[in-house]
Amino acid sequence: MFAAILIFCGSMAQAKSATNDDTIVFTPQWTAQAQFAGYYVAYEKGFYRDAGLKVRIEHPTSTQPAISRLYQNKCQATTLQLCQALEIIDDGIPLVNILQTSMNNAMVIVSARGKNPLKQKGARVGIWSGGFGQLAICMSLMEHLDYQWVRFAQNVNLFVVGALDATLAMSYNEYYQLIQAGVEMTDKNVYRFCNHGYNVQEDGLYMTRSYYEKHHAQAIRFAEASRKGWEWAAMHPEETLEIVMQYVNKDYIATNRIMQRLMLTEVLRLQVDRESKIREFRLRPDMVQQACHLMVENKMLSREISYGELVCKE
Amino acid sequence: MKLIQRKLSVRVSLWVVLFAAIIFNIALGFFFYQARSAVRQEAINRAMQTLEKTSLRVEGILNRVEVATNMTEWLVKRHPDVADSMFVYSRGMLLNNPDFYNCSIAFEPYYFKDKGLYFSAYSKHMGDSVRTIQGGSDLYQYFYTDWYLMPTLLDQSCWTEPYMDIDAPTNTSEMVTSFCRAIKDDNGKIIGVINTSLSINWLSQTISAVKPYPNSYSIMIGRGGTYFVHPDSTKITRQTIFTQTFEEPDTALTALGHAMQHGEEGMKQMHMNGQKCYVFYKPLGKTGCSMAIVCPESDIFGGFDHLRNSVRAIVLVGLLLMLFFFIRIITTELKPLRRLAEEAETIASGHFETKLPELQRIDEIGQLSNSFSGMQHSLVKYIEELKDTTAQKASIESDLRIASGIQMAMLPKIFPPYPERDDIDIYGKLVSAKEVGGDLFDFFIRDEKLFFCIGDVSGKGVPAALVMAVTRALFRAVAAHESMPDRIINNMNETLSTNNESDMFVTMFIGVLDLLSGRMRYCNAGHDVPILIGSGIGMLPCDSNIPVGVMQDWEYTLQETTIDPWTTIFLYTDGLTEAEDINHAQFQEKRIIDVIRQTPNEPQQIILAMTQAVHQFVGNAEQSDDLTMLALQYKRQQPHVRYQRSLTLPNDVQTIQLLNEFVDNVCEAAGFDMSECMRMNLAIEEAVVNVMNYAYPKGVKGMVNIDATISDKGLKFVISDNGTPFDPTAKEEVDTTLSAEERGIGGLGIHLIRQIMDSINYEHIDGRNVLTLLKRI
Repeated sequence: MFAAILIFCGSMAQAKSATNDDTIVFTPQWTAQAQFAGYYVAYEKGFYRDAGLKVRIEHPTSTQPAISRLYQNKCQATTLQLCQALEIIDDGIPLVNILQTSMNNAMVIVSARGKNPLKQKGARVGIWSGGFGQLAICMSLMEHLDYQWVRFAQNVNLFVVGALDATLAMSYNEYYQLIQAGVEMTDKNVYRFCNHGYNVQEDGLYMTRSYYEKHHAQAIRFAEASRKGWEWAAMHPEETLEIVMQYVNKDYIATNRIMQRLMLTEVLRLQVDRESKIREFRLRPDMVQQACHLMVENKMLSREISYGELVCKE
Repeated sequence: MKLIQRKLSVRVSLWVVLFAAIIFNIALGFFFYQARSAVRQEAINRAMQTLEKTSLRVEGILNRVEVATNMTEWLVKRHPDVADSMFVYSRGMLLNNPDFYNCSIAFEPYYFKDKGLYFSAYSKHMGDSVRTIQGGSDLYQYFYTDWYLMPTLLDQSCWTEPYMDIDAPTNTSEMVTSFCRAIKDDNGKIIGVINTSLSINWLSQTISAVKPYPNSYSIMIGRGGTYFVHPDSTKITRQTIFTQTFEEPDTALTALGHAMQHGEEGMKQMHMNGQKCYVFYKPLGKTGCSMAIVCPESDIFGGFDHLRNSVRAIVLVGLLLMLFFFIRIITTELKPLRRLAEEAETIASGHFETKLPELQRIDEIGQLSNSFSGMQHSLVKYIEELKDTTAQKASIESDLRIASGIQMAMLPKIFPPYPERDDIDIYGKLVSAKEVGGDLFDFFIRDEKLFFCIGDVSGKGVPAALVMAVTRALFRAVAAHESMPDRIINNMNETLSTNNESDMFVTMFIGVLDLLSGRMRYCNAGHDVPILIGSGIGMLPCDSNIPVGVMQDWEYTLQETTIDPWTTIFLYTDGLTEAEDINHAQFQEKRIIDVIRQTPNEPQQIILAMTQAVHQFVGNAEQSDDLTMLALQYKRQQPHVRYQRSLTLPNDVQTIQLLNEFVDNVCEAAGFDMSECMRMNLAIEEAVVNVMNYAYPKGVKGMVNIDATISDKGLKFVISDNGTPFDPTAKEEVDTTLSAEERGIGGLGIHLIRQIMDSINYEHIDGRNVLTLLKRI
């Protein structure tokens, strides 16, 4: 699926070559929400400006997803989950992880009330049509659960109305949306991938390798300023929430302050490494290796992608 | 508060008004409860009817959508392989139903091979015309949308949750809800979905317009609880009914959300935004949405509350007026009573003759006035009687105090009573239970004999005190000339028994201790036995005689013993043995003996120790009987004799010359002068001649012995004979102030001896008369 999008985007990119403008356009992979709080903070608090950068944040639209913007050179940086990035690289588009924010996996499976996802063999499980579910597909195969994946566009309605047996959710987003929709969460009906040997990092800040190599210093400064933004957000969650809500309200996003506070808290929690107990902001080679193994084994990647292919080369 | 306590009118009025208030409260409470229930029921009916009407309106249009969609599906299935006809059907749907928002007839990927992956005939109103285009692209993969997935997954027609429909060509959006129906081929395989949408705007306006009360409002939520209609526009599509409960848990709101989600219909009473509200809810057809009307309680019960407050105010004013008039009326009615109270106060302050107001009433107050008047007369009379009685009592008390003084004065009170003597030590104590008592003790020394007594008159108080006084006087009078205790008691018994109409009697012990010899004669008339304390402790043996005053002819027996030097005789009344503590246990003889054992053998110490022991034993119990104790210690010491002569003469007065020489020699040896020698001679001669003349019967020869001893005590003559027993000391003292005719015969001799000698003592020992005359040097 990504290959198709990328081929399409690639052609667009060639048609409209990258501008020499030194502005970095950053497009997060989703609409405005606390998942990208650190970048908003870095912008609003002037960390980018202080780093000598011209940065513009432009959110994706229904007609222009983040990844296509990256390949059309309409943006120079975007956020991707590790598994997404591996798929894109496997498809022949070299990417560079300039900053890894997530240290833990946030994906969960939520079953209908009282049912254990691990005992629902062959169940109809909702999955995002835009990617993100690679790990779940691996897990379904590895655990011989043979889920029937039902791709949905964006929300949790299908599960709420009872059209699905279970659905994938992010612990910082859909998980709370489901609670907000009156779904009861228990230890039994929630399966957390991070607790079952699938703790693979997610969100990271990526650039195309070609752009990165051309604007190496700029990219490094951008990554550092973004990291500073996240660190500030962790120190000042309430002020960060204010900034997030400004972005949310500006784009008329159908969410609310309570949801965004929960999302921010959870995203910040996920940034703390389980072992070191600190925000490391680094891609872990072991997790890259684990993700590659799983995806190669389940034929989602054609080859093992090394840690070196992902990170910056000094 | 003080006014309430002081004013009966206020108190009674308050009670009446309070009672009335309770009655009103109960009656009005019941009325208000019933009225409120009726208002509440009316509100429920009204709201439910409004809901019903709204629901029917909504369902009307929903049904049209459903019917139109079903019809289109029928048309599609007639030509499922002609792609272009789908544009016609889609367009026709909107042309026939101008109030529908859009219509899509979308097919499975690659259903029409020549149309590619996506084919969707999409029509939408554009002003007055309808625009029809082919929908679906890589950026709009419709088969991942809810409206496409829901009927296929649920395998039935359904309404979607409201969602934002984005029109890509015009870049406009609209919140819609869609009715979706899967299109199946002849084999039952799903080949596509028909989606007909309605603008939620229309629905929102319809529902928002529902306003049964001025401040009521409506809400609408989807299956996921999302608000699609709410007076706070910031909540629409952004919050669910549960969002607020994340930060402020609200079980009522949660319950309402679940009930609405589950398509239930009903009413809940709860707080919404800090206001008490009634929430009426009902599902909206098959859309999965649910609407609710929130009616503030203040709106529903506004009119009712106003009426209730008005009635309450009227009742309150009425009660206050009632209180005011009641106080006035009762005050007027009780005015005579107040006057009566004032007069009563005057009477109470001592003006007993104050005239009471005359009330011309026959009611309770009139009766009270009459009763009070009667009471006043009785009171005046009683006060007079009380005055007399008090005066009499004061007089009696005064008399009793005097009598007590007199009684105490009768008893010896100076101790030691004979400080000049070294042969006897005495200590006594009497404590009366009342002002005056019936106990007595007394003692005196006559002719070297100690006369002592202790007694207890039956009964207490004044009668006993009078008998005590008589008894003591008798003892003194009789013992003045009688030395034998039995005779003294017989004499007293005879006197006390005569005319003893009050049947009073006296237990008594009388002893006569010869201080020269230590011999003690005694008689016990029913009294407690004295205790002898010397080298050992023992009871004095006593005959069983009845108390004095009981039987006139009773012959009391005489007993005799010798008291060793340094022996103490302890006498007491039954007030000691029968002293009771608060548990009515008695002191008893055993404790007396214990005290004596622990106390030095000395009269004062024994009695003081005994007194203390009794007080300790009795404690706070009231003294029930008189308590009297008397202790005598005989301390005779052998005098140092430095001269001793004897002379024996026949009972012949002719030999008196020998006596005179004998006395002269002795007196000279004692160192007396001539004049004193002559006086001594006179006294001894008188005593010896008396013996010679009268001791023996006429013609019978007898002897008289005269022993003279000079010691540090003085000069002592002992005259003894075997003649008829005769005690010259028992002769009554002659009154020398009388003439010889008035005095009668005899008595002058012994009088002369008493004048010359310091002491005279008679004893009848072993059949001999022994007369001892002592002159101190």
